[in-house]
Amino acid sequence: MSDTLPPFTPTPRTRLRRHPERAHYDRETVFAILDSALMCNIGYVIDGLPYVTPTLFWRDGEKLYWHGSSASRMLRTQASGIPVCVTVSHADGLILGRCAFRHSLNYRAVMAFGTAAIVDDPTEKEAGFNAFIERLYPGRTRIMRAILPQEIKATTLMGMTIEDASGKIRSGGPLDLEQDYAAHCWAGTVPIRQVLDAPIPDPIVPPHTPAETEIGHLAQGAALDQVLLTLARKAAE
Amino acid sequence: MPDSTTLPSFIPTERTRVRRVHERGRYDRETVFAILDAAMMCHIGYVIDGQPYVTPTLFWREGEKLYWHGSSASRMLRSQTAGIPVCLTVTHVDGLVVARSGFHHSLNYRAVMAFGTAAKVEDPAEKEIGLNAFVDRVYPGRTGLIRGINGQELKATTLLGMTIEEASAKVRVGGPVDDDEDYSADCWAGVIPITPLIGAAIPDPRLKSGIPAEPEVGHFVEGAPFDQVLLALARKAAE
Repeated sequence: MSDTLPPFTPTPRTRLRRHPERAHYDRETVFAILDSALMCNIGYVIDGLPYVTPTLFWRDGEKLYWHGSSASRMLRTQASGIPVCVTVSHADGLILGRCAFRHSLNYRAVMAFGTAAIVDDPTEKEAGFNAFIERLYPGRTRIMRAILPQEIKATTLMGMTIEDASGKIRSGGPLDLEQDYAAHCWAGTVPIRQVLDAPIPDPIVPPHTPAETEIGHLAQGAALDQVLLTLARKAAE
Repeated sequence: MPDSTTLPSFIPTERTRVRRVHERGRYDRETVFAILDAAMMCHIGYVIDGQPYVTPTLFWREGEKLYWHGSSASRMLRSQTAGIPVCLTVTHVDGLVVARSGFHHSLNYRAVMAFGTAAKVEDPAEKEIGLNAFVDRVYPGRTGLIRGINGQELKATTLLGMTIEEASAKVRVGGPVDDDEDYSADCWAGVIPITPLIGAAIPDPRLKSGIPAEPEVGHFVEGAPFDQVLLALARKAAE
């Protein structure tokens, strides 16, 4: 289980200099922040210039995976095995302090570094794509047709072993200066969370199709990060 | 405020032309600015010694410029003050697209990649105006309720700005687009929308007596979509 896993070792690129008290290097915290997210932002360098591409991703043990069209510039660049920085962030709340300087944001973020590598083997690719579908929509690969060879060919799967990573978390209310507590203004936290809305069926959904059994875990009003974390933990069992 | 439909589009460049699913690419300023203005956080990519870094941070837009700030001791900000190229990316996740084959599963989203060169705002007066404008944009009128930024706070905060040199947006909307032969599949298909919702405000335990429990930031109504609120605030600030 994750509580027996060793923490990531802070390195020059991951050691938090600002607010070291917000730093987390243990795998449990880093993995939970990653697993609660659907999208990451991948930083890479082409001809010395930085690019940040948002994309879907998933974690399997010490590896992060993302995918896309085999024609994509991002993936073609990364296929040669270049260093990347995968960043995930959750905005959890606005912090209203009693002076401008003490306004803040509650958040959870991870920066993970590694070298992107293309997954070439078609069997491994297919297993990876199916695992991603199954993770979000358990049981779904059994009620759909299999991925076609040309779809596997048209899709690139990238993987990266996490070499080093750090988490950064701010939680709680405002921390004001003692002399500012007398200020005549409201102070506190305005929470923000990503919530799932009512599903919109495709116009051609067969009327007898039981949506509940297929997407019931993505219930209206549920918090997306919590649902994703639960799904990831179930998939890892 | 100039009618944004009269603003010229960004010109697609080698860096910003959307190649994949190019019909999702948008270059008009109205779309690009609306996606930026509906967000509070961005991801800034920069390069130190050949190594890419992506740092999430708060940001705001003013005309053709994007601003972000942080501690003057921050590695990210110190490296960017030298005037290095950055890529500032913003993403909104709008919904899970559930299709009839694995291949056609997708995500509804709005994203912008903006490129430019980060530059430090050195002038203390300009810095103070910028930081106050950010507070008042998110919380209109708030700088009138709180004390001014003091000298050491101003010194401890670095303000960075970047003129958008190139930008593109990418937007996916709508339901699944399946292969014709898959429509007979006996499975649910559709969209599960995702919305960033504002929750009930939590007052600080040391709220001064006489201050109502509800924040004066009345626009952050419980249950309101955060992105829409931010967009409305940005438009008000630009008036």
